[in-house]
Amino acid sequence: MVVDPEKEHVLSKRLNKILESRVENDQDTIEALRELSTFYTENTLQARRNLRSQIEKRSLDINENFLTAFKQVKESFDSVYNDVSEMNKCIQDMTHRLQNAKSQTKQLLQKTKTLQEEKEKILMKQKVTSAFLQTFQLKQDEIVALHADKNKRESPLNFDTFKALERVQEIHNNCKLLMQAGLQTLALDTMEQMTLHQEGALEVLYRWTQSHCRNVDNPDLTNIIMKAMSKLQDRPVLFKYVIDEYCICRRSFLVGEFINALTRGGPSGNPAPIEMRAHDTQIYVTDMLVWINKAIPIEKQNLHLLVKLCDFEGLNEILTNALASICEDICQPLKIRIEKILTTPHQASTMYAVVNMLRYYKKCILKIVKGGQLEETLNDLQDKSEQKFLGSLSEQVNSLLVRVEAPPRDLTPTSAISNLLAILRDMLSTASMSEGRETDMVKIANTALEPLLRAVNEQASRLPPTDMAVYLLNCTYSIYTCLSLYEFMEDRLERLQAQSDAQIDTLTSEQASSLVANLNLGPIYTILQDHTQGPLSGIPGMEPSNLRNFLSKLDHFAAQPDSILLPQINLLLSSMHKKAVQKRSFDVLLAIYKQLYEAVHNPVNLYEDPNSILDKTPEDLTQMFS
Amino acid sequence: MSTGPYNYSYIFKYIIIGDMGVGKSCLLHQFTEKKFMADCPHTIGVEFGTRIIEVSGQKVKLQIWDTAGQERFRAVTRSYYRGAAGALMVYDITRRSTYNHLSSWLTDTRNLTNSSTVIFLIGNKCDLEGQRDVTYEEASKFAEENGLLFVEASAKTGDNVEEAFLETAKKIYQSIQDGRLDLNAAESGVQHKPSQPGRNNLSNDQQTNRDNCAC
Repeated sequence: MVVDPEKEHVLSKRLNKILESRVENDQDTIEALRELSTFYTENTLQARRNLRSQIEKRSLDINENFLTAFKQVKESFDSVYNDVSEMNKCIQDMTHRLQNAKSQTKQLLQKTKTLQEEKEKILMKQKVTSAFLQTFQLKQDEIVALHADKNKRESPLNFDTFKALERVQEIHNNCKLLMQAGLQTLALDTMEQMTLHQEGALEVLYRWTQSHCRNVDNPDLTNIIMKAMSKLQDRPVLFKYVIDEYCICRRSFLVGEFINALTRGGPSGNPAPIEMRAHDTQIYVTDMLVWINKAIPIEKQNLHLLVKLCDFEGLNEILTNALASICEDICQPLKIRIEKILTTPHQASTMYAVVNMLRYYKKCILKIVKGGQLEETLNDLQDKSEQKFLGSLSEQVNSLLVRVEAPPRDLTPTSAISNLLAILRDMLSTASMSEGRETDMVKIANTALEPLLRAVNEQASRLPPTDMAVYLLNCTYSIYTCLSLYEFMEDRLERLQAQSDAQIDTLTSEQASSLVANLNLGPIYTILQDHTQGPLSGIPGMEPSNLRNFLSKLDHFAAQPDSILLPQINLLLSSMHKKAVQKRSFDVLLAIYKQLYEAVHNPVNLYEDPNSILDKTPEDLTQMFS
Repeated sequence: MSTGPYNYSYIFKYIIIGDMGVGKSCLLHQFTEKKFMADCPHTIGVEFGTRIIEVSGQKVKLQIWDTAGQERFRAVTRSYYRGAAGALMVYDITRRSTYNHLSSWLTDTRNLTNSSTVIFLIGNKCDLEGQRDVTYEEASKFAEENGLLFVEASAKTGDNVEEAFLETAKKIYQSIQDGRLDLNAAESGVQHKPSQPGRNNLSNDQQTNRDNCAC
């Protein structure tokens, strides 16, 4: 045994350290001691011997406990670990998925973005398009208004239709703008479309108008029909068809009304049917013509109402023809009735009234409706009535003159002649106030005068010459008096004047012969004419005594000029005729006297004291007779 | 006033005479109307016609009396001779009897008219050559012997009708120019136009008188 110093030193150090350590300050030692106190209760050998084992045992126990507890912890940890790793797995999966989703979503987003942009563009386009449609296309209701409802045939037309139609027109016009803007195809397409619409609409309009035009006087429809017509005026053919249709309707309506007025009269028989008074020709004819004259202006008014909003060249002609066409059907019933009147015998004056009525109303009616069958009918009726009138006048005249009466003793016109003249005067008075009076009056005068003058000649031809002349003069005078009251009779009057002149000549010659005979002037005149030589006083019959005898007769005659006038001269109706005959026959007498006076005062003839024989100069005598 | 009664200077009065059916009325009608009147009725008494013609630049109105050929109207027709300035004496060339009666017609005319009356002989119906019964020469000789103007005419075709009337008027107008016709004589058959004062005062007087009567 060597003790290493060092070893000795370490041990010393340890021991020192132990010794130096202060147990009471060491907490761990205290704690360990306290623990030891719990199980080391008895300080025995056993206990001391066992202490170690016991401590060991105890440490083992504690370790065992600790192990168990730790085992549990470990298990827990394990399960946590599992969970966490599970979670990790899950999350990893999720992350993966998320990654996928993320990459996928990106595409989608891009798409969406594009789509969105597109959508915006499209929206813009849509706006433009709808604006275009607004401007250049029709709305549904407009189309409906235009084309009406195809299912309902009689769909009512209303003002929307016209608005739509106007819009069609407007669009059509706007297309020109489009055209200018360079959108030619579009413009043309639209135009074509609009044209189609328009045609279609006009077609509908035409059908409707055609079936409704007859009701133009219905206040509910007037405006719309007027409007429709104004639209249709751009289509002459359709326009004309409508007018034609209208004419057909109104024509049959008018004739129906006319027949009603004739046979049925007004509502509840007031006014009475025109034919009730068919027995009174004048009233009958007047009533008929008045009715027509009243009805036609209404037709004209309606017709003009129909086309009130229309205005184009040639419209007037269409209207004139239309009105004439409307009036066509009443011609036949009118014609039949008036012709029936004309074929039954009537007084000339009645016929003349009919003639004038026809003329007057013809004039009135033709002011409203020109041309066509009505004018023809009225002309025809007027001609016929004029003929009939002259016919019946001549019939009447002839029936008055059928018997050749002998003139009365006073040589005045016979009653037949006077009656005839009265009729003639009536006729002429009426005629002088009528239309076209000149031709009428001349015709009437001719119709009556020719047979009249013939009858007068016929009557006169049966009379002795003087009576004949007087009768002819009297008749001529009556006729002249009658005619001279009227115009346009110059030709007739000229003839009558000439006839009077001729008869006055005849009468003058008769009267002069009678004077010469009564005054015994015949032989004296003959001697005066034939004497050529030797003194007159020596010739028998020319003695102063004989001449004085003649002169006394002449004086007597001069005092009472009427005494040796032909009695018939006093029967002359015209004092002018009478005077003329007297004057002219006296002139003859005076001429002879003058010749005689000159002869007597001619010394060659050897009359003594010629003044005592013929104390009156021709001038004296002229004065006496004047 | 359609005929314009005042636009002529003279009125000449004519008378047409001759047998029944020789065509007097047709001649007148042809002359005044320039138309042929078929189936013309017998004239009763007298008919009257006028026409204005021109003679040597003067307008002359012819007043023509067409007389009945029938004997029974002789008294009536005689009245019209007196005032005639021209007498157209008509016969029918197809009926000799009408020619044979001419001398009696001529006597009547000479007796009843004044010496200056122009007498014109007309052989009517010269269109009916085939039925001729009186030769032109014979009638022409008759006319010459009696100092008449003569022509053959046809009222149907109008041949020579106008000429006969116009020749007569010319002859009358000549007489006036020569002064052989006294316009103031009542029976000359010629009048100055009605508006001229002097002649024709008779009708003027009558006019006024009648107007008074009418009132």
